[in-house]
Amino acid sequence: MQAYIVRRVLALIPTLFFASLIVFVTVRMIPGDVIDLMLSQNDIGASKMGREQLEQALGLDQPMWLQYGRWVGAILFQGDFGRSLWQNTPVSEQLLQRLPVTFELGLMALIVGLSVAIPIGVYSAIRQDTPGDYVARSFSILMLAVPSFWLGTMVMVFPSIWWGWSPPIQFVPFSKDPWGNLSQMIIPSIILGCALSAITMRLTRTMMLEVLRQDFIRTAWAKGLGERLVVARHALRNALIPVVTLIGLQAPLLIGGAVIMEQIFVIPGMGLLLLDAVSQRDYPVITGVFLIVGVAVMVINLIVDLSYGLLDPKVRYR
Amino acid sequence: MTMKKWARGLLSGALGLALAGTAQAQQEKPQYGGTLEVGTVYVTLSALSFDPADWNWKLNHDTGQFYEQLFAADLSQSKRNGGKYPFYADAWLPSDAIRGELAEKWVWSDNPLKLTIDLRKGVMFPEKPGVMKERELTAEDVVFAFNRLVNSPKKIAGYFDHVEKVEATGKYTVVFTFKYFNAEWDYRFGWGYYSTITPKEVADAGATNWKNVNGTGPFTLSDFVQGSSNTYSKNPIYWDKEKIDGVEYKLPFLDKVVYRTIKDEATYLTALRTAKLDLLENIRWSAADDLKKTTPQLKWSRWLSMSGQFLAMRVDTKPFDDIRVRRALNMAVNKQEIVKAYYGGNAELFAYPQHPDYLGYFEPLEAMPESVRELYTYNPDKAKKLLAEAGFPKGFSFKVQVCSCNPDHMDLLPLVSAYLEAVGVKLEIQPMEYAAFLSAMTTKTNAPGYFMNNGHTNPTTTIRKSFVTKEVWNPSQYSDPAFDKKVADMYLERDEAKRQVMIKALTREILEKTPYIWLPTPYIYTAWWPWVKGYNGELRAGAVRPGPIYARMWVDQDLKKKMGK
Amino acid sequence: MASVAETTVAIPPRRKRGPVLHFIGRLFREKPLGAAGAVVFMLFLFCGIFADALAPYGMNQIAPLNRLKPPSWAFPFGTDNLGRDMLSRCLYGAQLSVIIGFCAAGIATVISVFLGIVSGYLGGKFDLVLQRFVDAWMSFPDLIILIVVVSVVGPGMPQIIVTLGLLLGIAGSRIIRGAVVSVRENMYVHAAQSTGASTFRILWRHILPNVMAPVIVLFTTRVGTVILAESGLSFLGLGVPPPAPTWGGLLSGSGRTFMLQGPWLALAPGLCLTIVVYATNMFGDALRDLLDPRMRGSR
Repeated sequence: MQAYIVRRVLALIPTLFFASLIVFVTVRMIPGDVIDLMLSQNDIGASKMGREQLEQALGLDQPMWLQYGRWVGAILFQGDFGRSLWQNTPVSEQLLQRLPVTFELGLMALIVGLSVAIPIGVYSAIRQDTPGDYVARSFSILMLAVPSFWLGTMVMVFPSIWWGWSPPIQFVPFSKDPWGNLSQMIIPSIILGCALSAITMRLTRTMMLEVLRQDFIRTAWAKGLGERLVVARHALRNALIPVVTLIGLQAPLLIGGAVIMEQIFVIPGMGLLLLDAVSQRDYPVITGVFLIVGVAVMVINLIVDLSYGLLDPKVRYR
Repeated sequence: MTMKKWARGLLSGALGLALAGTAQAQQEKPQYGGTLEVGTVYVTLSALSFDPADWNWKLNHDTGQFYEQLFAADLSQSKRNGGKYPFYADAWLPSDAIRGELAEKWVWSDNPLKLTIDLRKGVMFPEKPGVMKERELTAEDVVFAFNRLVNSPKKIAGYFDHVEKVEATGKYTVVFTFKYFNAEWDYRFGWGYYSTITPKEVADAGATNWKNVNGTGPFTLSDFVQGSSNTYSKNPIYWDKEKIDGVEYKLPFLDKVVYRTIKDEATYLTALRTAKLDLLENIRWSAADDLKKTTPQLKWSRWLSMSGQFLAMRVDTKPFDDIRVRRALNMAVNKQEIVKAYYGGNAELFAYPQHPDYLGYFEPLEAMPESVRELYTYNPDKAKKLLAEAGFPKGFSFKVQVCSCNPDHMDLLPLVSAYLEAVGVKLEIQPMEYAAFLSAMTTKTNAPGYFMNNGHTNPTTTIRKSFVTKEVWNPSQYSDPAFDKKVADMYLERDEAKRQVMIKALTREILEKTPYIWLPTPYIYTAWWPWVKGYNGELRAGAVRPGPIYARMWVDQDLKKKMGK
Repeated sequence: MASVAETTVAIPPRRKRGPVLHFIGRLFREKPLGAAGAVVFMLFLFCGIFADALAPYGMNQIAPLNRLKPPSWAFPFGTDNLGRDMLSRCLYGAQLSVIIGFCAAGIATVISVFLGIVSGYLGGKFDLVLQRFVDAWMSFPDLIILIVVVSVVGPGMPQIIVTLGLLLGIAGSRIIRGAVVSVRENMYVHAAQSTGASTFRILWRHILPNVMAPVIVLFTTRVGTVILAESGLSFLGLGVPPPAPTWGGLLSGSGRTFMLQGPWLALAPGLCLTIVVYATNMFGDALRDLLDPRMRGSR
């Protein structure tokens, strides 16, 4: 087991290195570089000297490989992700501020998604091909088919017109005011969770269907056990194993991708940080976000894989 | 008989009520306390930097509550107070509405050209634990702040070239020695974008860290959540006072001012509707009507966008080097219809390069010569004639770059394109992402057509930055050495009245030469709930600096409770 | 040898009716919802292909005097803020969605198949390295990659098609690989190998036909996914730029701006989008159930 973990972590390193290099270079190739953007703020034309001066101040005048080396070195040895080109504040500060927010939103969305998907999936499986099954499945796919930004907009706008109420948009950290924090996050996480639930519901349903046909279930029926016991104790546990893997697959979305919800519900998360950084060409922030997100997702996947082994005794790690 | 008496009684009753009403309004006593939640003009943008040495345009907007400057707007001349200025302009103050903020009085002298400024006495920096103790502002602070700006690696080259040196000749006396006069001297370091006075202690502790900032202004920065909000708390030892109905009140009235950063339009409109925002300064014309219907209690003001809209034509390429072609395209676009049908009347036909708010510099369209007025009259036949004369009887096609980040432009450009197609001119629209779009202009590699809007800034800069050779905001690549010389002369002219004459002539000239297809400028709305008092839509008291305005606002908390919010 | 290969066709004809008709019959009998989805899907395809003939007005016919007219006989879906007919714009939107959806889904499927088959069949070190690369790729959130890529290549339809295709293709290769791995252990593959058939022949004649089921299902659901993804990008300002009337663009642009003055501006493209995505999902589900129960509820 330990050997497996060590091997997986070691395998992460070249992947991260490779990915970070690609991101580092790509980001600097985006047309419209940050110097142009900064200079365009001014109403006085910049001479060549102005450009060079700015480049030097931002450390962008050095050759690419040197910049990359410096960046990697700073991260590995000092945990320093560099400074934002615009705010001149440490990138790590911004990342530390935004990551928990995104993580919290993702976690809540995951919980909502699972709470919706698993009961619907189980119900659909037990009552297969009944109208109940169709309704449940239709509802789930409908959640997927309506674009999340549209749902979010409707939830934001229409209650304000009908009842003069709108979801809270004031961000407070969880540590300062847990209730205020949750009341802001609950609606976007419900919307996000319902959209995610469609896929999990489908998987739960098919897994349950397969498991329910198995011999050991038939034995349980024959023994005279009640439906609830059969489903909960025997079928569910086995059916949920691939669902756990699915959590790992959805991790990227949860960690970095809730941009749309963040924008509509004014949640200062990683998604908006990246969006702003890209439009402003804030290279250190962009590469920092990519790196953190990549690491976070890989770690989550590792945990998921390990738990898969715990849940299913048939799986052994060579 | 009875009717007359009855009517008279009604009339006097009404008059009495009206009088009482005005008396009430006059005697409305400001209340202290409360919080103001604001969606500012830049509601979608979070603070970019808190350090003046970063030379960031948005700085004043976020730091203007705590960092003060030498000069600021004289708000007693606002329309609300019976004056003639609305204070909407984003980077212009009328020269007779400037008041000394940290400066008390200032005197010019010649040989050498010098400006001697006497600072106010008794202006205190509040204590900031870990950064500085409470102390008085002195001339040394001004000198330090200026030199820090000049020595910053991010500074704009040439911005302070006209200043020879700055020195403190007394505890409260600062002397600026100039190499030569610059008409924008007070804009450059006075009330402009880069005029902030930062104390040495803050710079030593690290001026980029928002937790260290400390200034003499009406508020202090108590919290900053990037991408979400800026919270400003009352500075109890602020020096300024305001006289209302003969009574002097210590400023500020509010306990807290909170800037909310909200990227999404639907969300910030909703926030205003449900009173999560007390004041929203930037409402698009398309949303205003709706808001008036759903929330009739709101109070409104309307201002003309401080930004001209146009399609720039590269005059260094064919066929735009021919002035007939440029004039033809202007006449081919039905600008009146754009105002009426596209903007629903919420736009002005003629508001660029000079802005109608620039009293003394702006000349309305009716005062313009026929050659200019012609450009704003829809005349597709004449357009086709001119095109034929210039050698394009069948029209031609050209590429236009536009920013996909601006939804208004993405709708307006196809409309303009439809008009031009009617005279045979086809547009090839190339949408570009924001930074790439700007970069095309700054590197002077933009397409022959470039659809954009550009801030007016102020009467002198609006001409210089767009029509002088090789300037940054000159996408049409307009270059006329004679014109450049006239602009340079304009900058050296010390007498404002003479300058105004020069600027008017320059404006007429560039309008006639028409390097752009001039387009209408839309109106923008500001709305606030009735419990926000001491306010009538003023936006800036310096370059993008609303600080002094918020200091004079107050919240009627009883009214707010009565309205159930 | 040839006869051995002949007997391993994916869907052996069992009835006198053709296999396709038989399949359609099963679809309508056993999976009514999926059948409804299929009908909508075909309707969508039809509208997309014949949009030019069906649309009463042009795609970008601006008439400012007709702005914001509610639905009427002249304009069944109303007009937008520039006076353009919404029905025509939605039909052209269908055309764009068909193009973007099918092309991107097509590219994605080709990539998935290629990577999946090559990686799954060859196995060994090659498989390991490739899977690590796929791991790395999949650990980055889709939207983040899209944001950066669209900023680099700029807004435009071909760029979005290629980007979405690449993204979904690499992710989908996992599923195909799984199917390939289970197929390659089959008897007839071993038989083919022992008779000395070339790798290419084995891939083409034995592996590929047997993974067609997941491929078809993947393609169908991908069309819906792509349309949804483009709408999300439009909201962030990174989709196909106006005046192109993609449903996502219409919904997130004038649909949201004028949603109170003209609800039909959002209702029309919104319903189109939702119904089509819903339909493709139901259809894909039904296909999966009928063709290949082996596909364990994968994406």
